[in-house]
Amino acid sequence: MLKLSGLTVTYGSFAAIEDVTIDVAEGELVVLLGSNGAGKSSTFRAISGLEKPSAGGITFDGKNIAGQSPERIVKSGVVQCAEDRKLFPQMTVHENLIMGAYVHRKKKKEIRQALENVHALFPMLQEKKDHAAGSLSGGQQQMLAIGRALMSRPKLLLLDEPSIGLAPLIVEQMFEVIHQINQEGTTVLLAEQNANAALKIADRGYVFESGSIVVQGTSEELFTNDAVRKAYIGA
Amino acid sequence: MDILTQQLFNGLTIGSVYSLVALGLTLVYGILHIPNFAHGALYMLGAYITLTTMLLWGFNYWVAIAISVLVVGLLGVLMDRLVFHQLRNAPPIHDKIAAIGILLFLEALAQLIWGADYRSMSTPYGEVINMFGLTVTMQRVLINVGAIAVMILLFVFLKKTYIGATIIAMAQNREGAHLVGINTNKVAMLTFMLSGGLAAFAASLSAPINLVFPGMGHLVILKAFVIIILGGMGSIPGAIVGGYILGFSESLGATYLSNDYKDIIAFLLLVIILSFKPKGLFSREGF
Repeated sequence: MLKLSGLTVTYGSFAAIEDVTIDVAEGELVVLLGSNGAGKSSTFRAISGLEKPSAGGITFDGKNIAGQSPERIVKSGVVQCAEDRKLFPQMTVHENLIMGAYVHRKKKKEIRQALENVHALFPMLQEKKDHAAGSLSGGQQQMLAIGRALMSRPKLLLLDEPSIGLAPLIVEQMFEVIHQINQEGTTVLLAEQNANAALKIADRGYVFESGSIVVQGTSEELFTNDAVRKAYIGA
Repeated sequence: MDILTQQLFNGLTIGSVYSLVALGLTLVYGILHIPNFAHGALYMLGAYITLTTMLLWGFNYWVAIAISVLVVGLLGVLMDRLVFHQLRNAPPIHDKIAAIGILLFLEALAQLIWGADYRSMSTPYGEVINMFGLTVTMQRVLINVGAIAVMILLFVFLKKTYIGATIIAMAQNREGAHLVGINTNKVAMLTFMLSGGLAAFAASLSAPINLVFPGMGHLVILKAFVIIILGGMGSIPGAIVGGYILGFSESLGATYLSNDYKDIIAFLLLVIILSFKPKGLFSREGF
């Protein structure tokens, strides 16, 4: 479904990611592991069209999307929920969700359906629908960010560190919801530092180190891989 | 007492014009973070275009205003495409230099086309009416009603329509707007269109009670900057409230303090308000 081949993104003379090759099949939940600055977010930014790759290709459903504008990429069904959430802080929760459905703005019925789905997934978003997004707690903001991304009914959801800065209990809930989203048919590419939790719900994974992929495999393989255990699981 | 109500009405009139101009300025600042110094030139061109279409082709005042709003709006879009869009990856200082460049260019252009003479614009609404014990010209009533109607329309457009909400979304988080699939180039063009249209509308309304000349935008734009700074850069309610604060204090100051110093009042207010609220009255909370 999504194929990155030899993707390289540079900022000036610094290569944030180099020669990254990733494959995601339809219906999978794939995790990108790695510490801060390892290149996960740069990979996501390139997929979403926020950064132009300096080499390599990105195809989605067989069509080249590398270097396309972010709005065309969203229209084709790839939506990113960014690490810093990028909500509209002074808009209400409801308005944020409605903006999430921007690409379907002419289809009222679909928007209502998507809104119901998101509310079913995160009942909190319905309770707080008239609150300003900026007034929510970190966990609630993360839920809103995921909800907003789901409003565009993506085929592929990119989740950049959804557990960052959240309390352990909330993190657990978050991973349950991500698992559920995947089970309901959305392909998920997840960037995480929390390898333990992520590998539990993922099918496969890639490990980033200084901008390149160093290990890849199924979740079981990564879970039992010594280097991965030492670096990311801590056992 | 009579003088007070009369001056309050004057303040409302001046404030209406200031608010309209400041709104256009704050909209552009909110989404692109460009202080558009050339906004005053758009205001000036708005007045000239209304004047010319009325004199040259004998158009009705309202038709002339509509043409002016459209032409200046498109000029705003052109400004974005030809200049600011090209500078999107340049350091912010380049935008400012370019904006001043556009201002100088448009003023020289106006002088070339229309000359440096002061002109007056006639209005079909020159009659004097009595209202609530006030003696005012119809044109002044029109300025207030027109400005407030446009502000309400703008508010409804931004709050209640999808396309208007994209402007607010982009102002609050540009990358967030990208990620939900908003074409930010189109939003920028729309914003410049609105901004230019608002300037032309304000100028066309106020020109009959002032004069039309190439430098007529100077003081207005300077005050519009004061307004958006004291209202909070990028804040829409800030621009409206700030516009009226300035309008009222100028008209009251002119009457009770000194008419010669009325243009200083704006800057005095700026100093006082910023001393207490360094980020401005609304500091973007209400956008």
